[in-house]
Parts: sequence; structure tokens; C-alpha cells
Amino acid sequence: MAEGVGDEIATLTKLTVRSELSNLVDDPEANTADKLDWHRLILAGSILARSDMRANQEAGLRIAVGAVVLVKDEKVRDAGAMLLGQLSNFRAVTLAIGRGLVADDLDGRLGVSLRLETQRREMDRSVLVETSGRWLEVNEFQQRFWTGASSADWLSASAPTASGKTFLVLQWLVDQITAGEAKVAVYLAPTRALVTEIESSLEQYLKAVKGVVVSSLPLRTKFDDARAGGARLILVLTQERMHLLANVLGADFLIDLMIVDEAHKIGDDGRGVILQDAVERAVRLNPKMSLVFISPSTQNPGELLADAPPGATTQAVDSDAPTVLQNVILAKQSKGKPKLWNLVARQGGEEVDIGTLQLASSPSSIPKRLAFIAAAATGDRGGTLVYANGAGESENIADFISQLQPDHDPGAVDPELAALAELARKGVHPGFRLAKFVERGIAFHFGNMPSLLRLEIERLFRSGKIRFLVCTSTLVEGVNLSCRTIVVRGPRKGKGNPMEPHDFWNLAGRAGRWGDEFQGNIICVDPHDGSAWPHGVPVRSRYPIRRESDAVLDAGGELLGYLEERAVGAPRDVDGDGDFEQVGAYLLTTYMRLGSIADAELAKRHDAAFIKNLDQTLSRIAAKIEIGSDLATRHSGVSPIGMQRLLETFRAYKGEPDNLLPAEVASDDSYDRFVTIMRRINASLFPAFEPDARAKLLALIVFQWLKGKSLAEIIRRNIAWHEEVGKAYKLPDIIRETMMLVEQIARFRAPKYFSAYVDILHLYYVEIGRQDLIDADLDIGTQLEFGVSSRTLISLMELGLSRMTAVELFEKIARDDLDRDQALQWITERADELDTMELPVVMLRELRERLLPSGGAAMTGPQPV
Amino acid sequence: MGKKKPVSYGDLHFNTQTEARAFLNAMLGKYDIGDRVSAADAVILSSALALHPDAVQRIGPGIKDFSVRSADFGTKCFWVNRIDGTTQKFSHKACV
Repeated sequence: MAEGVGDEIATLTKLTVRSELSNLVDDPEANTADKLDWHRLILAGSILARSDMRANQEAGLRIAVGAVVLVKDEKVRDAGAMLLGQLSNFRAVTLAIGRGLVADDLDGRLGVSLRLETQRREMDRSVLVETSGRWLEVNEFQQRFWTGASSADWLSASAPTASGKTFLVLQWLVDQITAGEAKVAVYLAPTRALVTEIESSLEQYLKAVKGVVVSSLPLRTKFDDARAGGARLILVLTQERMHLLANVLGADFLIDLMIVDEAHKIGDDGRGVILQDAVERAVRLNPKMSLVFISPSTQNPGELLADAPPGATTQAVDSDAPTVLQNVILAKQSKGKPKLWNLVARQGGEEVDIGTLQLASSPSSIPKRLAFIAAAATGDRGGTLVYANGAGESENIADFISQLQPDHDPGAVDPELAALAELARKGVHPGFRLAKFVERGIAFHFGNMPSLLRLEIERLFRSGKIRFLVCTSTLVEGVNLSCRTIVVRGPRKGKGNPMEPHDFWNLAGRAGRWGDEFQGNIICVDPHDGSAWPHGVPVRSRYPIRRESDAVLDAGGELLGYLEERAVGAPRDVDGDGDFEQVGAYLLTTYMRLGSIADAELAKRHDAAFIKNLDQTLSRIAAKIEIGSDLATRHSGVSPIGMQRLLETFRAYKGEPDNLLPAEVASDDSYDRFVTIMRRINASLFPAFEPDARAKLLALIVFQWLKGKSLAEIIRRNIAWHEEVGKAYKLPDIIRETMMLVEQIARFRAPKYFSAYVDILHLYYVEIGRQDLIDADLDIGTQLEFGVSSRTLISLMELGLSRMTAVELFEKIARDDLDRDQALQWITERADELDTMELPVVMLRELRERLLPSGGAAMTGPQPV
Repeated sequence: MGKKKPVSYGDLHFNTQTEARAFLNAMLGKYDIGDRVSAADAVILSSALALHPDAVQRIGPGIKDFSVRSADFGTKCFWVNRIDGTTQKFSHKACV
């Protein structure tokens, strides 16, 4: 290719990228596309399109897009559209026709043989959606997925981010559950943000389908209905919620189909092990279920099929084909001219000079660099995502971008943006910075925000009303949000760790809205700065999937040392990171279940001598553990060693046994009891709420959350607490900190460790003959995950309302014991009065769309991509 | 030095106020914050609370039971839980 059309492709790259950016200094040397030899280029493109190599396909795509977008000659544009068809990129053809770049009736302008060829290609590249009887035009990857998933028992599919994976998987899932035998399907999504999004998309698809319901709550009502022949059920769950549901259902946890989205996250610290454990647990209980893994751009999707049961058919579907052009642009400051930035695009191993970007002001800090470059390159266009290293920084960058926008008329704010600002002020805090930014079409977005708010931000970004979105790693964690341009500098994930290349490419893959745009840009700021990019801007490549448990097992002796030490020391004295704790818990539980690690699937991936050593160590530890393997299995990631120690703590307790229980939240003792339980968990189970002095603040958050208080109320009380104890605080920080505590402590750590605590306590009560103290009500893990303790609140959330809306509505409802039907009746009876209840507009809309479909506006949830 | 004053909580007699105070202190010490006081200790505490200078106000409409909960500056103290659902803290040091 380099000798053939390399120079022309470089020119095309320059021209297509320049057409996408604003505020470029004029370049008199920039050629026009009309001067290129398009006859030759199209021929080259059609040859390149036949190649399986990504670089060749990308070149073919660039020629096709260039022909359609940059050239005036209609014949060249038609040929470009044909070339897109040859690349099975029918969505791009539709886009070209929709934008008027290619005239209608393309087929009519082709000769007979070409027309036949086009039609044959379209037929070849279609799959039949059984439920609708409709043929769906797909690309090569989608077609292989569809046929593979329908024939194999276990399938693992991997493709780049903008390949239409999620769109197709959801179509396939809906098709399976409506036309197939499956009664209950589980869609595992590794973050709550993704759960909310998938749930909304599925509801969208299922609007016209009767007899299928979607739920993200780990409650048994809908599950039992589906098993008994009622409405079929798709459960969208995080791995933690799946364990909660499996705990509730026990041996009744019978499912027919499971999809694991973002399956590469099986390699993440801590939660990757819980994910692996969730999948293995589901497979143990349902050896015959169909299982589909999906992951972005991985090298070895087949790795996930290694543990398939004997006799199960497996298939790996792997694609690296590009669907939209993704331009990686390196932005480097001109020497001595801070307002001028030189841009070069990466083109294979080469760098193509694009031109110079002119900023409005000199950026004196890193957040300013990101903000000024984003604002300049975006100009009047929207669709720009800026990646920030942390929630606080995201707010500051959004602030700078908002200052660079033209003055706005406060009276002329778009009504949807005004409604979002209202939700931010009422639902979080009147001083929450988001409110004033969104009024100007700018937002920030991070994982700990309430889901209703985040979804609304994502929706308005997709619609173009929010033009700039400053985000953190939540976006990489799998939210299906694409954009035109990404601006990024030295991306970090979590607490300051440089982002792994596969995460970077997962983020970069969001640039380019397939079907909405022909290309996307990833502007990498300061590419040569070693502190920002310790390993340089990662070169595009596919990365291997590796289970976290396997990675930790490779630590060998270190892991054995940790286990030995953990078995004798107090939890807070044991050195070692969370990975050893999680994997140690997983291994010990597996040992307790099987009697030997050598019998586990994982053994075949490791050295036999090491497995033997591990078995001996685990055998010594397990000999001292009285906790049964059933109980250990219920609490993924919690060490049975800690559980045993907690049991011993209970046995040594000299007070009244009922003092060990969490008190009802309505009781006056409840808050103080939480403090003590947290300290007990720190000392015996795992130091999850350390230091002890902090337990009081953490207990306050957990207590308010469980009481069903709104986020706004919890923030108000946290501020009041700081004032009471004379602690200084800054408003934006305390808002963010409270959101973080709610998400990380109340909704993640507390459910995990409190539910293990209560289970062990029940074991102890049985031991001392005090079963009378065991309350069979809703388990504390579920209560904490959702932040509810009243039946009415649970019912409102079971009906599909976000917690934010449910809590606000609950304020108006007198009774706290309404079941689902009674709660729905309460709302239906007051359908005409809802406007007078002073609920924020976004909440009102959610209420109408979810519960009063006849009176509601059209569904405006996230669109599948 | 003041005169020694005996104190009685029901059948429980102490020769001095200091002894009575130490007894209640030890009782408080064996509870974690958030604990409900045992029935046996509650009987003693009821008698003790009757000696509080503000007994009438603290007891209010009647005693249901007692708890140990947090007090100011990271300390803990006894709380009386009343039959009407209200609750009030009191210092055991004043119950002599």
C-alpha cells in the first residue's frame, strides 16, 4: 500500500481531518480533493476492501469516505458509496444518502451487473429477526455473531467499540426471549451505569412486545412469575446484584441464557474476580444455559470459552474491522507560542501534518490546556468529550469551557437544559456546579452521580444540546456513548494509575458515531510529555483477556504467603493488596466446595507443582474453618478466614445476643449500632470501614441512605455534621464526597460486608438456639444496594422508577407498606395532580414514561447504537 | 473532705457516691454504642435515674428501656427510651 497509494491516503487523511476541526490556521499548501486521481483511488480501495488486515480496510474506508465527503463529482461520490457497500458499511451509505451527499436511487444509476452484485451483497449481509420477520442489514462481524450465537452453546465475541455490538446483542437477546425457549435471561453488565443504560435500551426495544419484562432488581417476584409461565424476564444485573439474587433464590436460580457484557473486565482487580465467580456460579446451577461473552477489541476472546462444560459447543467470533474512521491526532504546543498547537495525525507508522490550531488564550495549567483545545477544535460543532483524571478536575475543566462560550441569555435557556439544571439543583444541591454549566450546554459526568442525572446528561449529549461533556473513567467502563471528538491528556484510571492501552483504545473507540458520522477524532495533548504519557500515546492494537485470578495466581509464593499470614493475623495487620484478599477468598471458597483446587477448571492453566502447594496451604487453612462452603459461596470476595474470625468474635461476645444485630432504621439506636457493627467488621472480617474514627461518618451516610433519604437530604446532613463538629469544608468537594460515599460505601462496601455479617450472625444464632432473633425480611444487602427500607419505596423502584424519583414521590405517599399494584394505583389515581406536586420536570417525565404510558411523552431514553 | 453518703439502687447498696458512680461507670463500659441495656441492668438504671436531679423531666411519660449511645466528643452515655417513642440522654454521674 505504501508504494501504491500511500501519499494519496496521507493527503486524504489531512483533508478529512481538517474538514472536522475548527480554528485551524489557513494552510495554502493544503490540496483540494478534486485534484486526486479518484479513478485509481477507488480501484485501490476496492482491492484493499478485500483484505482481512485492519490497516488495509481502514485505507479502503478512508478512500470511500473521502470520495463521499470531499469530492464534488457525483460519479465519484456514487463510487464511494459503492465502496462503502463493499465494506458492508451500509449504515454509512444510509448516512451519505440522508445527508444528501449521495443522491437517492443509487441502485438505479448502476449498470445491471453492478446492481446485481450490490443486491447479492446486501442479501448475504442480512440476518432474519424471527420475532419481526424483518431482515436486518449487518456487517460481517454482526453476521458472524448472529449465526454463531444462535448455533453455539457458548460464544465469545470481540470487536472494536463502534461495531454495533451492543445494538446487535440486544436485538438477538430480544429475539431469543420472544421467539425462543428462554424464559429467564440474565444480562451481566459490570457497572451500574451500564445496567441503567441497557435496561432503558431493552425497554425501548420491548415497547411493542408483549409478555417480556425487564428488571434490574435482585428480587424474586418477577423471576417466579417468569418461571411459572408468566411474562418472560430479562434481568440486567451487575455481578454483585447477581450474587444477591442467587442468594435469595438458592437452588431456584434457574436461567436459560446469560450475556456477559464487557467480559474483558474479568481481568479487573477485585471486581473481576467477583465477575468470574458470578459466571461460574450461574454455570454451576445452569450447566445447559447459553452463554455469550462480549468484549471490545480483544486478542483472544476464545480464552473465555476454556471453562465450558464438556459437550457444550463453543465459538469465538473476532473482528478488527473499522466501521468509522478514527483519527488519532497528536497536539503539541508550538515552541514559544502557547496559543498555537501543531497537529499531526497518526497514519499507520507515519505521522501526517494536519496544520496549526489557534487557541483563544494561553493555557497556563493542564485543565486549561484541555479546555482551550477542546473549545477551539470544536468551534460551533458539538459532540466533544473531554477526558478528565478525576471528578474534581472534570468540574474545573467544564468551568473553563463554559467561560469560553459566547455570553448567553439566561432567559433563553433550552427547556430541556433548564429541566436538567433544575434536577441538579433540587436533586443534589442548589450550589451543585453542574446546574449553571448545563444551562450553557456543557456538562461533567462521573460514576458516583445518581443514575437519573447521568442518563439525562448522556441523552442530551447524544441529542446535541449538551455540546461538551467532561467525563471520567466511567465512560471507559462501558457506557455506550459515542462522540465526534475526544480530547485527552495523560489519561489515568482509578487513583492515578496510567491507563492501560486497552482502556485507552476502549475510550478512543468512542470517537466516531457509526451511522451518525463518517469519522471521529481523538486529540491527544502533549504526546511527548513523559509525565502525561509514560509509555507514549498507545499504538492501536488488540489486547489479551486475562482473568484476574490467573494473574494473581502467577504471583505464586507471594499469594501463598498472604494466605498463611491472613489465617493467623488480624485483618488490618496483614500486608498485601485487595487483589490477594479477593482471589484468596475465591480460592479458599473453591477449595471448600471441591475439596481440592486441582479439581477446579483453573488448575489446568497453572503449574501442577504450584497447584499442589496451594492445595496444601488451603487445606491447612480450611481445617480451621467451620463456615460451610454454601455460606462462603454466598459472599463472593469476602474471605472465609474473616468470616470464621467474626463467628469467633460473636462467640466471645458477653452482652445480649440481640445487640449484635443491625437495629431497625426507625429505631433510635440504629445509627450508633451501625458504628459498632462497622468497627466489628473492621476488626474481624475485613478493614472495609477504616479508620475506626471514620466509621461515624460512614455510618451516618449508610444510615441516611437506608432510611430512604434523598441524596439532597444526605448532602444537607453531611454539611450539617461538618458544621456541628467544626470541620472545614468546600461545597463542591462535600457534594462530590457525599456522592462518592453513597456509591462506594453505602451501595458497594456496606452491602458486601453487612450481608456477610448478618449471615454469620444467623449461623451463630442457630448455634446458640436463638433462631427467634433471625428476621426473614428483605436482606440487608438488597436494602443497602437500593437505599430503601420501606416496602413502598421498593415497590416504586420495582415499577421501574429511579431511586431519585421514587424517594421524592415517597415523600408524598402516606403509607410505607404499599405493594407494587397498590403503589401503581396510588400514582394512577393522581395522574392529573402530578404537575402540582412540585417534582422536578425530569422526574415527572420519568414517572409518566414508565408508569403512565398513555399520558406520557414519547420515550426518550438512550438510543441503541 | 465531704461526708460519706450511702447510695441505694433498689436492693443494691453502696457506701459512698464514688462507689455508686464507679459501678455505673463499669456498667456503661461493658456496652458498645448502639447496644440495648439488658433487662437486669435496666432495673438498676431505673432506680438510678430516679435519683437524677432532673428525674421527672428525663423519665417523662415513662421508661420503656435503656440504650447506650454516643455522646459528645466521642464518648458514650446512657439514654432512656420512653414509652411514647421519644428518647433522652442522661449522665449516670448525676444519678447519685
